[in-house]
Amino acid sequence: MNNIYLYQDDFISLLNLINYLLKNKIKPDNIKPQTYQPTLLDEVINLKIPHNPKIIQFIIEISNSKIFNILYYVYLSNNENKELIIYYFCLNLLKYRTNIIYMRNLKCVDKALKISKYVGNEAHRLKGFVRFKKLEHDIYYAEIAPENNVLFLLSKHFKRRLKNEYWLIKDVKRKIISIYDKKEFYLIEEENFQMHNLKVAQDELDISKMWKEFYNIVAIKERHNERCRMNFMPKKYWKYIIEMSDE
Amino acid sequence: MEIKEKLKILADSAKYDASCSSSGSTRKGDLGNASFSGICHSFSADGRCISLLKILLTNCCIYDCKYCLNRKSNNIKRAIFTPEEICYITINFYKRNYIEGLFLSSGIIKNPDYTMELIIKTITLLRQKYHFGGYIHAKAIPGCSQYLLKKLGLLVDRLSANIELPTENGIKLLAPNKNFANTEKIMGYVKNNKSSKFVPAGQSTQMIIGATKESDLDIMQKSENMYNNFQLKRVFYSAYVPVNKDNLLPTLEKPPLVREHRLYQADWLLRYYGFKTKDLLDQNHHNFNLLIDPKASWALNHLDEFPKDVNSCSYYDLLKVPGIGVTSAKRIMSSRKHFKITFKDLKSMGVVLKRAKYFITCNGKYFMDRTYFNKNFIEANLVLEDKPANTQQRKQLSLFNE
Repeated sequence: MNNIYLYQDDFISLLNLINYLLKNKIKPDNIKPQTYQPTLLDEVINLKIPHNPKIIQFIIEISNSKIFNILYYVYLSNNENKELIIYYFCLNLLKYRTNIIYMRNLKCVDKALKISKYVGNEAHRLKGFVRFKKLEHDIYYAEIAPENNVLFLLSKHFKRRLKNEYWLIKDVKRKIISIYDKKEFYLIEEENFQMHNLKVAQDELDISKMWKEFYNIVAIKERHNERCRMNFMPKKYWKYIIEMSDE
Repeated sequence: MEIKEKLKILADSAKYDASCSSSGSTRKGDLGNASFSGICHSFSADGRCISLLKILLTNCCIYDCKYCLNRKSNNIKRAIFTPEEICYITINFYKRNYIEGLFLSSGIIKNPDYTMELIIKTITLLRQKYHFGGYIHAKAIPGCSQYLLKKLGLLVDRLSANIELPTENGIKLLAPNKNFANTEKIMGYVKNNKSSKFVPAGQSTQMIIGATKESDLDIMQKSENMYNNFQLKRVFYSAYVPVNKDNLLPTLEKPPLVREHRLYQADWLLRYYGFKTKDLLDQNHHNFNLLIDPKASWALNHLDEFPKDVNSCSYYDLLKVPGIGVTSAKRIMSSRKHFKITFKDLKSMGVVLKRAKYFITCNGKYFMDRTYFNKNFIEANLVLEDKPANTQQRKQLSLFNE
């Protein structure tokens, strides 16, 4: 049988559970969120570990905030075994402390560093690729469908950048919406949020048309290089990039 | 003329400038901020990044530079933006996250000072009326007064002046109204006054490659000289695209893109790898080998210094290995204190093993029989592996004709 330990679907619960497992020297076969569908070979164990945010402080104390961020980025990833990778990373963290990031000969460290970079890269790319539409009442609205759960990271960015605008970003894959009210942003599940049918603003069509024309003009014909464009701006993002989606 | 029409004309005229970076500044404003690492917002069909709204204030110009689309003698549609129009487009594009900021350049209208004043007026409006805190890169107009440079530098993140061609002779031939002295005066002024308030993201410049007869050696010497004298952030190399017909200009079927690529690679070697131009080129080798990148080329000519052992050689030795970059070299340095690095570990550190393996040992071990450690074998393998740069070349050059 496979011992599968379940956590409440958030990062702090995951860390609390891992902390408990490590303290009690339990080696899980896997760690999964509550939504996990067990197979016949699984034995599901649902420990009710208290939700204790102090764990964040603890991890930063034994390592540093950079390493904590690596773990958080892994948690945001779409990797199937991310919980187990975090578990083994934490196991080694107790031994190597801040030196852990140099231990790329350990599989879990190598993986964690790669995954966290992958998530960071996607978040960075999307900082550029997000396209807002202006709606009535000067509300800016964008949709994304990222591989990883980067909506929180993006929201932090746009909170600084468009701090005096109302904006919404919807992750259509995960059905979460980030809502910014000129002070703070909130991540809300789509089903808990009623969006009135807002029309696009009057100047929206004009502006987006100008942008598309600009986009097409700045390409130098003699240098045409489709492969290079695809490398930098993969097709999976095109659907929500207006200059790419309509043509 | 409608604003849409103007945007078409003035974006079309501005697109041959290679620079598009938006990095190096930490500005904050009521609307927008700069991102220190820079952000690319889109990529055009030629694969170049679009980060800034790159436009000319006007494409009217009193100069007649042979290579330029906007030269006085060309019969093309001319337009001029009003400052408000530029703000309108910038703000609206910015709020929709199309762009990271503005790149404003201009043809010379009336005289350099008058043109500079228009640029300053536009950017002042953007910063003060619209409280725009995004990235702005402006071109300084060579020959303008110093007090205008000072004013503009306080408003923008990056200020640049294009050197245009690698030698003074080239300038005399193709851009008779320009000279090195005026451009370098701007570079000197920016260098001496750079601060967190004045041109915080530094300056850059650009050269056109292949419009005149200069060799790669001439080009790299000019770059090196400018990096040393003016602390430029970047020199951009722009493969010459024939937009005009002129008997002083070469007739090219395609812009020399592979050559441009090699120059960028060499430029990186100067800035981050501790190489000097004289290491890479000399009187007997004026130009880079188009089939092999400059670093591998250097390594093949200095094979007696290799193989280097990754567990013991110095940081600068690591940087000399083809397939090892700044990031992977740093990773090797910090990891090898903790464990002995093997070929497998190198791969996970981001080393391009298919290039590096010929030039290194791990704990004294070479990746295959040492009898293969010879120039011809390694060179043949490297050429085959450097696909992207060589696809275009392959039709013209055969590897096997001696």
